[in-house]
Amino acid sequence: MPSFVPTSPETLEDQRLYTSARLVEVACLDCLAKVGVKKNSEHHTSIQWTGEARAHCPELSRRSGGREAHPACPRMIASIEAAVRDGQIPIGAEDGY
Amino acid sequence: MSDTRVRALDRGTAPERYARGWHCLGLAESFRDGKPHGVSAFGGKLVVWADSQGELNVLDGYCRHMGGDLTQGSVKGDEVACPFHDWRWGGDGKCKQIPYARRVPLRARTQRYPTAIVNDQLLIWHDVEGSEPDHDILPPQLPGLAEGEYTDWVWVAEEIEGSHCRELIDNVVDMAHFYYVHFAFPTSFRNVFEGTQATQFMESKGRPDKTEGYGDAELFLKSEATYYGPSYMINWLDTDYKGFNTEVVLFNCHVPTGPDSFRLQYGIVVKKPEGLDDKTANFIAKKYADMFGSGFLQDVHIWKNKVPVQNPLLCEEDGPVYQLRRWYEQFYVDQADVAPEMVDRFEFEVDTTKANEFWQEEVADNLRKKAAEEGEEGEKPATDTPQMMSGT
Repeated sequence: MPSFVPTSPETLEDQRLYTSARLVEVACLDCLAKVGVKKNSEHHTSIQWTGEARAHCPELSRRSGGREAHPACPRMIASIEAAVRDGQIPIGAEDGY
Repeated sequence: MSDTRVRALDRGTAPERYARGWHCLGLAESFRDGKPHGVSAFGGKLVVWADSQGELNVLDGYCRHMGGDLTQGSVKGDEVACPFHDWRWGGDGKCKQIPYARRVPLRARTQRYPTAIVNDQLLIWHDVEGSEPDHDILPPQLPGLAEGEYTDWVWVAEEIEGSHCRELIDNVVDMAHFYYVHFAFPTSFRNVFEGTQATQFMESKGRPDKTEGYGDAELFLKSEATYYGPSYMINWLDTDYKGFNTEVVLFNCHVPTGPDSFRLQYGIVVKKPEGLDDKTANFIAKKYADMFGSGFLQDVHIWKNKVPVQNPLLCEEDGPVYQLRRWYEQFYVDQADVAPEMVDRFEFEVDTTKANEFWQEEVADNLRKKAAEEGEEGEKPATDTPQMMSGT
């Protein structure tokens, strides 16, 4: 049962554009997790995990469900930074996003 | 060549149901006066009362006999009694007694809402599918609260008409509104969504051009705000004002009352600073509550006048509105229809570089103008408390 229902088909395309377009796969250098990464600029980072990747990450799995679960996994961040240095992730936005 | 098509606003249609999850009705103590209390929620009215052991019970507010308003009845023993024909309803939703009748009909069962007490507050489980309450996703108890390490509660409720509560949720990702609506200055902004939780991390400072008095530029704020489910946010705020650190915890929760109305409630406690008496600590809590209260009113003014939008047009400096809404959607679909992408972990770091460059300039410019005006008018009296903002 849908909840907030868009009335225009173009909205569905916007949803795709903003949530899944241009995600580049980055594999963690320390575990088997693979995430989708997008960088609109040097300081911007968008990281999409999957259930499978999340289960592979020992760092996040070790944490309890409390406040400590919220910060990023430092190993994944380092892996993404390495991928950026290697030029694997294009940096820049398209049409303002 | 630029695109010449006009961008249309898709207002969409609002959901037909209310969110699944724990909802806070208020401070538990406020219901323990021996009377039934009426609470508008989920398009109807609920009755809340305490039984003889002080346990709180929540039922639909209308008697299943002839529709009498239980909230106007009375508490008799452990039960709430209808003012119309004195039918007595127990906290388990069953009619326990009809004093004038030989028997109670077996089918005399009404809608009950499972309850939990967390952080001195009464929470109820709502799910249109009628599922058992999920205690694993209750908000956490604030360590030290029960041990007296915090001030007394400041608790405020505001009825919001004409807006769906998703407008409030959107604030989780809305970096730039903190500058324009709340006059704070986000220097760092990050979101993490996972499972039933959505978090915002923000570091900010006050805008020195927006208040008089004791220098906002001196106020630094580290804020971590997490929604536990669709309606209950805990916001940890570490404030540094001229080197004086205060740990403020803001609880921001709401209950939908209708398709486009909700009751916003916020509560504040402050960790009692070492060496400060309770009265002073309570005074500080009240001051912060006033500040956040005015912040919420700034939001309300925007909500009342804006339109809903399903297809926000974003720029590079905006937060992940679409991903947040995808997360929020999980509470409006059947449990069986919760898709992986609604609950998969997602992290987003907003680039505040460009915004900060521009805002620094704008603030400096405003300060120059103000200095020039004050040069003409003479000194203005110091007013107001410093502006700072929470994660909402």
